[in-house]
Amino acid sequence: MNDMLRKIFLTDLLKGLRLTFSYQRPEATYTEQYPLERPPVAERYRGAPRLNNHPATGETLCIACNLCALACPENLIVVGWERTADRKKKLTTFTYDLSRCMFCGLCEDACPVDALELTQDFEIARYSRDGLIWDRQMLEEGPEPTRYTR
Amino acid sequence: MQFLFRHPLILSSIKILVVFMALSGVVAYLVYMERKVLAFMQARLGPMRVGPWGLLQPIADGLKLLLKEDIVPARADKAVFLLSPVISLVAAFSVFAAIPYGPGGWTITNPNIGILLILGLSSLGIYGIILGGWASNSHYPLIGSLRSAAQLVSYEVAAGIAVVSVLLIANSLSLVVIVNRQQQMGVWNVFLNPVAFVVYLIAGVAETNRNPFDLPEAESELTGGFHTEYSGFRFSLYFLAEYTNMVLISSLAVVLFLGGWLRPFSSLRWLWPLDYAPVVALVGAGAFVLWLGLQSRVRGERMFFAALAILCAALAGVVGIPLVLSSIQGVFWLTVKVLAVLYAFIWYRATFPRYRFDQLMTVGWRRLIPVALSSLIVTATMLIWTGYRVVPLLAANLLAGILTAWMVSVRGAGNRSRPTREAI
Repeated sequence: MNDMLRKIFLTDLLKGLRLTFSYQRPEATYTEQYPLERPPVAERYRGAPRLNNHPATGETLCIACNLCALACPENLIVVGWERTADRKKKLTTFTYDLSRCMFCGLCEDACPVDALELTQDFEIARYSRDGLIWDRQMLEEGPEPTRYTR
Repeated sequence: MQFLFRHPLILSSIKILVVFMALSGVVAYLVYMERKVLAFMQARLGPMRVGPWGLLQPIADGLKLLLKEDIVPARADKAVFLLSPVISLVAAFSVFAAIPYGPGGWTITNPNIGILLILGLSSLGIYGIILGGWASNSHYPLIGSLRSAAQLVSYEVAAGIAVVSVLLIANSLSLVVIVNRQQQMGVWNVFLNPVAFVVYLIAGVAETNRNPFDLPEAESELTGGFHTEYSGFRFSLYFLAEYTNMVLISSLAVVLFLGGWLRPFSSLRWLWPLDYAPVVALVGAGAFVLWLGLQSRVRGERMFFAALAILCAALAGVVGIPLVLSSIQGVFWLTVKVLAVLYAFIWYRATFPRYRFDQLMTVGWRRLIPVALSSLIVTATMLIWTGYRVVPLLAANLLAGILTAWMVSVRGAGNRSRPTREAI
């Protein structure tokens, strides 16, 4: 009987038509309008590194302890510091070679003061290898990719 | 001055020009509609980059095709190669002279053999395909055009028989009379003979070389089918002809089976609010466009949509004038129905996979033609036996359709004679 229905009233074809029709609802669309709309990235995504500043004072949170450089399996972090008058370490330079980074996040874990952080920024492509070696200013300000509106 | 407008030649020329221009525009945006609908059904967005929501895409496509190099293959039969797309296009466009767009003066011509003229002219378009495939002097186009010839000949039979059962009901070959007859009967022909409608629709899809019957231009097998060697302007002629044929098949389906220019329930006076549907549709379109514009964050896009919304509102105002409203009534309903059928064509393309060639022939000769024939015989018998009465016609046709479908598909000879795996 079922077989007969399928062959005479072509119910299979109607089922198929219903399915394709249902895909027309706007929320079924998978396409992302990428440069116009950025896709949401997973919460724990590890992207471009950032050196955090204190939100109130604007001074760096980094205490130049060098733990991140020690934790890095690729040895791509170079922390530069100087001693202040009261024998405290003060951060001077911070170099992060993104071209060798594998985004393992060990530096982030090692940081005792939450200064170094791998953010959700994913647009870190550059035209040259040199562009991937980020200095302290770049790390504090972030990559600032071009925002396209059309 | 009066004389000039009364002269049939001038009036027809104006009408032909209007229809030609409108049709070209419709076909261009039909491609846009196809790409959009297909995209949404496949969870994509379709053209989005050229203009807001890709609305200028057809214009960009047309420009691209016109500017492309026009290549004639070295060993091709040059004269035939250049002529054949023109044959296809002329056949496709000239048919629209006989389609009634509305009651009264809304036709270019109203020949009393309208349907014959249309079937004959549209069949001429096949010459364009066959000659083009032959003249290209290349394998794929030749195979494509041979397939096309075989397919069109087989499905023309089924479509023709389905049309004849409508002609029996209308007792005339004139399309205007066919529509008027549906007005008199109080029901569209689909409700008198749904079996013929289904057969005509399937055969129509096959005649326009569209999915799931697009073997003549099966991309995965024949690169492009008959138009593989064509490029630029000549390719665009084929393309135009193909989509014009699509519009033709759906307008014919509407005129023959779906009441042509008639409003739904046109015999029920108390449904007069439906007469205001054109205004409502235009206002709705304007509101939708405005909503799209408000969603957009790009300034140029917002302006574009605002202008479009204002245009829609202005048109709605013009259409709202009682005299205009009553005269465009027919065209509006015809357009809506044709669009619905075209949408169904696109919908099929998004849903059904392509047939194998022997399956295609089986569907045409062993399934569709017997079903169409049975519906024709039953319609003729019932017309003699009970006269023009809706219920007996519908009941008899449905019964005969189901019975024949059962005979050809469940018990079908086609199933038994299929070679077994061992035999191959």
